[in-house]
Amino acid sequence: MSAEIKRPANGNAECVLHIDHLTMRFGGVVAVDDLTMDINRGEIVALIGPNGAGKTTAFNAVTGVYTPTSGWVSLNGQDITGKRPDEITKLGIARTFQNIRLFSSMTVFDNVLTARHLRRTSNFLTATFRLNLAEEKKMRQETEQLLREVGLFELRNEKATSLPYGKQRLLEIARALSTQPKLLLLDEPAAGMNPQETEELGEFIKQIKEKFDLTVFLIEHHMNLVMGISDRIYVIDFGKQIAMGTPAEVQENPAVIAAYLGVDEDEAAEAPADARPEARDGNEEVSPE
Amino acid sequence: MNNQLTKKKIDSATILSAVIVVCLYVAVFIAEQLIAPTSMLFTVLKKGATYALVAVSMNLCNGFTGIFSLGQAGFMLLGAYTYGILTLPVAERVNVYQYYGGGLVQFTLPWFVAMLLGGLVAALFAFLIGLPVLRLKSDYLAIATLGFAEIIRAIFQWDKLGPITNGSNMLRLFPNFNDFNIRGADGQVTVYLSTLVPLLIAGACIGIIVMLINSTFGRALKAIRDDEIAAEAMGIRLASHKRLAFCISSFFAGIGGAMLAMYQSTVQAKGFTTAMTYEILLIVVIGGIGSVTGSCISSFLFVAASEWWLRFLDQKQMIGGFEVPLLRNGFRLVVFSIIIMIVVLFFRQGIMGTRELPDLFRGRRKAKGGAKS
Amino acid sequence: MWNTVFPYVLSGISVGGQYALIAIGYTMVYGILRLINFAHGDVFMVAGIVMVYMAASGMPLWLCIPLVLVATALVGFIIERVAYKPLRSAPRMSAMISAIGVSYTLQNLVLYITGGLNQLYPTIPWISDSVTIFGATTKMVTIVTPVLTVILVVALVMLINHTKIGMAMRAVSRDFETSQLMGIKINSVISATFVIGTFLAGVASLLYFTNYTTVIQTSGAMPGLKAFVAAVFGGIGSIPGAVVGAFIIGIAENIIKGLDIILFKAGIISGPMGLATFSDAFTFALLIVILAVKPTGLFGEKTTDKV
Repeated sequence: MSAEIKRPANGNAECVLHIDHLTMRFGGVVAVDDLTMDINRGEIVALIGPNGAGKTTAFNAVTGVYTPTSGWVSLNGQDITGKRPDEITKLGIARTFQNIRLFSSMTVFDNVLTARHLRRTSNFLTATFRLNLAEEKKMRQETEQLLREVGLFELRNEKATSLPYGKQRLLEIARALSTQPKLLLLDEPAAGMNPQETEELGEFIKQIKEKFDLTVFLIEHHMNLVMGISDRIYVIDFGKQIAMGTPAEVQENPAVIAAYLGVDEDEAAEAPADARPEARDGNEEVSPE
Repeated sequence: MNNQLTKKKIDSATILSAVIVVCLYVAVFIAEQLIAPTSMLFTVLKKGATYALVAVSMNLCNGFTGIFSLGQAGFMLLGAYTYGILTLPVAERVNVYQYYGGGLVQFTLPWFVAMLLGGLVAALFAFLIGLPVLRLKSDYLAIATLGFAEIIRAIFQWDKLGPITNGSNMLRLFPNFNDFNIRGADGQVTVYLSTLVPLLIAGACIGIIVMLINSTFGRALKAIRDDEIAAEAMGIRLASHKRLAFCISSFFAGIGGAMLAMYQSTVQAKGFTTAMTYEILLIVVIGGIGSVTGSCISSFLFVAASEWWLRFLDQKQMIGGFEVPLLRNGFRLVVFSIIIMIVVLFFRQGIMGTRELPDLFRGRRKAKGGAKS
Repeated sequence: MWNTVFPYVLSGISVGGQYALIAIGYTMVYGILRLINFAHGDVFMVAGIVMVYMAASGMPLWLCIPLVLVATALVGFIIERVAYKPLRSAPRMSAMISAIGVSYTLQNLVLYITGGLNQLYPTIPWISDSVTIFGATTKMVTIVTPVLTVILVVALVMLINHTKIGMAMRAVSRDFETSQLMGIKINSVISATFVIGTFLAGVASLLYFTNYTTVIQTSGAMPGLKAFVAAVFGGIGSIPGAVVGAFIIGIAENIIKGLDIILFKAGIISGPMGLATFSDAFTFALLIVILAVKPTGLFGEKTTDKV
């Protein structure tokens, strides 16, 4: 495609996701403003910022839920700007949702199994008339394997929505992994978790990164988690990047501290998620008029 | 609890369910040979089979995929007309198409070919109408499909299409369910099949729908119903899967329409009204949105109640010299409506919720096991 | 040419006005509850039946008319309380199914009461009289309808823009939960919406059935659907949109009814085409086209789902 020639990645062969001058505008509101990012293979990169900074919007623009107003996104050097969410998932980006979106009528097992659907070779006729038994068996085996690896196997026959909150978040990740992604996007995976669960989640993310040869891109408010697992952190405010660097560098950055309303970073990290100052709460999702 | 998941095991509950279904078929076959063919029982079974298929096909769309389509009557009309037009014996065409010089179509197809074509025509229209309509949200989609059915109804009554559709006149004299009976040389029926065959047709079609629902595509459809955004994020292409469900649903609605034509022995466009779609929707609701078994049970109950069991409500009844108040023409439908409203308001799960026949046996066993441990 | 077309346009404006009054009920309810009130057309039909029975009981017409309007509003109120209120937190599909159930119930109830026979609508003096304007003879109701429609719509818009209940309605239609948190009594707002909507449907029934002279249990279905299409066409939730949409649909459908004659007199066709068959279908074709091209209608607002 000519578009790909015009828009090469940043030249780095290790670069998995490249976001180039991405802008997302809703009416008069600029939710993401000229954001440029690179995520390299095997990295865990976090995107942080106060509520309403445009983090989820950036995720949505990467995963195809929104079409960027301007700028572009490429995955492994391939332009994915403006592609549909399912196409992007097929190319290797999987995501979880901030407000859990499991398939509520299904069991844990079926939730994960359904996410394998995109790797099928059968069509509706061969599937209906059971000419795809080998493939179906393989899908089930892989799902079973995946559930064992993430520790949800014992709960496989439970209804997804009957799981405790923390397990539902875990299931969201398992479901995303089931699409066989190269890049995993986690939208506030620790939201609503207690400190111990959060710590376990951090370990878990590192584990799956190794096990599934992933690159991880996450949005998170729990600073302990972010600082503990991230290789690099991007900080945005009002849709604009205000800092980028290693956890240590970001923590020292005066612009970042200012963005968090002058709250000392350690305090912000210590405070539970819902006790943090919510400067512009409600703007996280900007919907056009 | 340690059963292998890798291969979806055919458990005893499934086998038991299959045995029950086969027994029912055998029972119908025997009953048909023994009981007079004019019995109300057979009317109910024939119409019930037709409605069951249509209800299940609607459930595939509305219950399993979450596409709230109200075009069912339109797709049935397409199936019924395709069937009627193509199976009408050439010799009879002059009589039926009396205002259109015998009509344009001058050949006759075997019933099963025509029925299949009926389904395909319905599916084709579903594909075309789906292009603009399936992008719409729930309630807009409902009203657009409903409008589509009305358009189809008007087109088929158009005088200029009379050579094909017979205009607003009735199509008749095509093969119906009674032609399934096997007759001896003297013209006497030797084996009665006029009830069994429609039940088998409906059963086979419903079986195919069930197999689709239990396949990987069925899971994808349920995912779309549960959460479109999550389904899309898991790589399920919404447009193609919705179109698939819509076309397959319409295909079977078309077959159901052909069966309705056979049941009624006549076809007339003005009968395929919005009210018919509503009726089928209410059957689906009573049975349980998202349960094939529920739709089937509810279809037979609905037909039996309206054609047979509740008929007495429409006639004046005397008990011990007193006339029972309220009973007169139309009261049956009032009682019906009240039952439906009670189900809609207080028993939103319907008869079956989202459970299927095998689940009934599984549920009981699980409860027993729980009591032991 | 104009002489041929004019009578159709005239009755189109008349029917359009009646559709407009029904459409307002749809659009207001949708604006607040996001519910297609499938039973609305049947409430309109019930208003006609109530009028028939009241007049038959010997009650003077000047008393019947206000009583019919009150009774209709009451029916709307009761339907909301019984059939929709219990489902407020249920999925949208449930409420829609309930609406279809109510529609089915009302039709069957009327079938039972009337025995399924056409009921002759009482003749309301003055508006049933014949008049001749610009060479076309018609009933007075044809002229009264658009005038009355405009007056009622203006009154309604003023009510919505300048009264407390109107402000509450606007708030609720914008954000259901927040207005509840702000202390707006949701239930009374919703009831008021239904009362206003069905009251206007009652007015529409007086005008419509004066024109068509008979009522049967299915009389409400088609006008109801068309009024709904009008509401969608104009952009659901928008009252001016519904009114404009209703007039367009009313006029279009009446012109199609006379299209054979119009085209014949214009020399375009040489024989009857039976195009009148499509007068109803046209409305729905228009619906599908508008939904495909501009799903939000002429005056509708765009909304986006949150992710």
